[in-house]
Amino acid sequence: MAEIETLGILQDIESLVADKLQVVSYKWLSRSYLISSDTAKRLLQEFVEKHESGLQVVYALSGWLKKDPPSYHIRLVSGSKLPEAKQDFDGTCSIQVYSVQASIPKDPAALWNAEFVQAEELFKQPFTADNCLRDNRFCGISNSYVKRNVDEIPASVAASQPKSAVDLESSKKMTSYQNTTVLQPQKSEMPKVSPNVGLQSSTVVKEVKSEGNRTDHQASKPIAVKEKVASLPTNKKKGQGDKTCSSTGSSLANLWGRVPTKSKLGDDHADANRATAANPTVSSAEAQICAHEALQIENSDDDEQDVNIKRSSNESGRKRRVVFDFSDDEEFEDAVSLASPENPKDQSCLDLKQHTELPKGKAHLNNDEQLNGKLKIKEEKTSELEQSLVEEKQHNCSTEKNEVCAHENDSIKVENPVDATPASPKRRKVLRTRIDDRGREVNEVVWEGEEQKQKKDDVSSAKISDQKAVETTTNRPPAAKKSPALGNGGANPAVKAGAKKPGNAAGPKQGNILSFFKRV
Amino acid sequence: MLELRLVQGSLLKKVLESIKDLVNDANFDCSATGFSLQAMDSSHVALVALLLRAEGFEHYRCDRNISMGMNLNNMSKMLKCAGNDDIITIKADDGSDTVTFMFESPTQDKISDFEMKLMDIDSEHLGIPDAEYHAIVRMPSVEFARICKDLSSIGDTVVISVTKEGVKFSTRGDIGSANIVCRQNTTVDKPEEATVIEMNEPVSLTFALRYMNSFTKATPLSNTVTISLSSDLPVVVEYKIAEMGYVRFYLAPKIEEDEDDTKPQA
Repeated sequence: MAEIETLGILQDIESLVADKLQVVSYKWLSRSYLISSDTAKRLLQEFVEKHESGLQVVYALSGWLKKDPPSYHIRLVSGSKLPEAKQDFDGTCSIQVYSVQASIPKDPAALWNAEFVQAEELFKQPFTADNCLRDNRFCGISNSYVKRNVDEIPASVAASQPKSAVDLESSKKMTSYQNTTVLQPQKSEMPKVSPNVGLQSSTVVKEVKSEGNRTDHQASKPIAVKEKVASLPTNKKKGQGDKTCSSTGSSLANLWGRVPTKSKLGDDHADANRATAANPTVSSAEAQICAHEALQIENSDDDEQDVNIKRSSNESGRKRRVVFDFSDDEEFEDAVSLASPENPKDQSCLDLKQHTELPKGKAHLNNDEQLNGKLKIKEEKTSELEQSLVEEKQHNCSTEKNEVCAHENDSIKVENPVDATPASPKRRKVLRTRIDDRGREVNEVVWEGEEQKQKKDDVSSAKISDQKAVETTTNRPPAAKKSPALGNGGANPAVKAGAKKPGNAAGPKQGNILSFFKRV
Repeated sequence: MLELRLVQGSLLKKVLESIKDLVNDANFDCSATGFSLQAMDSSHVALVALLLRAEGFEHYRCDRNISMGMNLNNMSKMLKCAGNDDIITIKADDGSDTVTFMFESPTQDKISDFEMKLMDIDSEHLGIPDAEYHAIVRMPSVEFARICKDLSSIGDTVVISVTKEGVKFSTRGDIGSANIVCRQNTTVDKPEEATVIEMNEPVSLTFALRYMNSFTKATPLSNTVTISLSSDLPVVVEYKIAEMGYVRFYLAPKIEEDEDDTKPQA
């Protein structure tokens, strides 16, 4: 980069930081000055060295944590806490300037604001326009196999069945991970890639993944950030920023609309997920891989190809298969999850699961409405099978997942409720089972808003496990199993009626002293 | 070693009578400062807090803090065997699983020992924060008992509203409704007959009369009752025990239905 140019940018940064009080992150810098993210980081470093005082720096630390088992971490740390944070890392860790700003924002989401606005604008550009987000040109990782043509819209309809399932997986994962609208380019490329690289759908996944990661890297460092530990308060609020961005991805829905039913499920799902949060969902195992890869890439801008190869050779090779099994399982699970949101799939990820599984069930319901009867039978049949599958799966991935969970639970939990609100006001037809006041089980098909459901899920999730035992005794397992999730509201009146008796029939309800005084 | 000698033994009898209907089993906690009890009723709607300070006893010895789980009905049965003028002594040895009630007749010519088995009770001790109440009503305890009894024949909840005008107890039932208003009245011959209302802001709360009636069993303990109300807190119905402590009843108000929905059912 020419010296003069560099100087100009540095001046610009100065005015941005000092006058406009903007948070200048390397991502933003890279996109707005059309320089590679690496260069952007170096520029920022230079800037920091020049203007030591009068500004606050947020560093991105990445490396292996000291704790056992070692886990790879990327952490955003303010300049003042840098030495302290370094202690947490084992041996060397890479330290890069993430952003410079006049002061550390109180609301960590502010760190991302500028980026999101920028990303939004870039994606709002017409499809035909090529911009740095679309072609991902400044990403640290490039893949020569991937051809980008902006004019074309994916022909993913052609995708084979298993592949679409994979799509589902990967898309889910990507949405969840990226939470930005970077999906478009990926989507359009993916089908092209698959014939190129191989017939094996597993390869496709790989490609998709590397794609995802690539975009990750450039468009959304938040992913990496998501992996970060809670030491930095940022990862909570960030969800909001994500949300604003993701909600703009209307064009994404169009793209997804062309994907076959399976993927559409994924779409619904993805939408829901995008709205509901960055859910690594069931695919947490691969999600984790993805995350790890993202981390790696994040860390190794320079030897990108190397990493790519390494990734595909070791990690992906093995894991793809696992992943694939998962997506198969998932189909079963999807079918059943309608009725059994309480799959004890992974205890360690319980909340996670509950959040994720329910939307899935919903999506399924939505799409397979007419199949419901059939579905049920299948469910009954599969419920046992599923149990074992699930267990197996649990076995397979629990260890991997645990890590992810540990990393992500925080952010996810926070994001979920928050993001539920902006979720599309779509109303869906949903089969609900509830216990009416005479104690009968009532199945009804109702239109239900997403938010409402989300809320209910949240409330009921705590109870699911409790009720499960009781509910499974009914003669229709699937429906009965569902009731804990949705029929919760229905079960309550009975309780209430009981509680009401001592008082006036229509009067207010007796409060509990424990709601006023705490146990000591 | 625990030894508490209470000259006015009838006090203890009255205390037991006042709480045994509300609470079945409870831990009596003895410390150097006094003899106390805190217990919730089985439905966790009401809470009793009893305190008998050490100074109120003629002789008070408590070497180390001890918690004695007792069945209040059984304890009451034993205390009923004491005469109203008897001196009651509560004795317990460290590590013992029994407690002894000793009754001495005023003339010292009859001494009875009753030994009662203790029980292990999972105590749920609640932290009761000191609170500023919106309104505090002090009135003759008999008057309050009468109001509760009267209203419970008409409805099963009472709305207690305190305004500048006074305190209003109202109920509504199948046969009709009732309102009883007590105005502030300090111009009486005896101070214990006064009705005093301290109000910071108007408050109106609904309570189950069943519990209120149960609280009024403590009427013999004190001539006056103090009712403290705050819109976001349980009501406190307090009966002072002459110069040595109190019995306080806390009762959670009835809550409007919709508010309640936000709370998951336990």
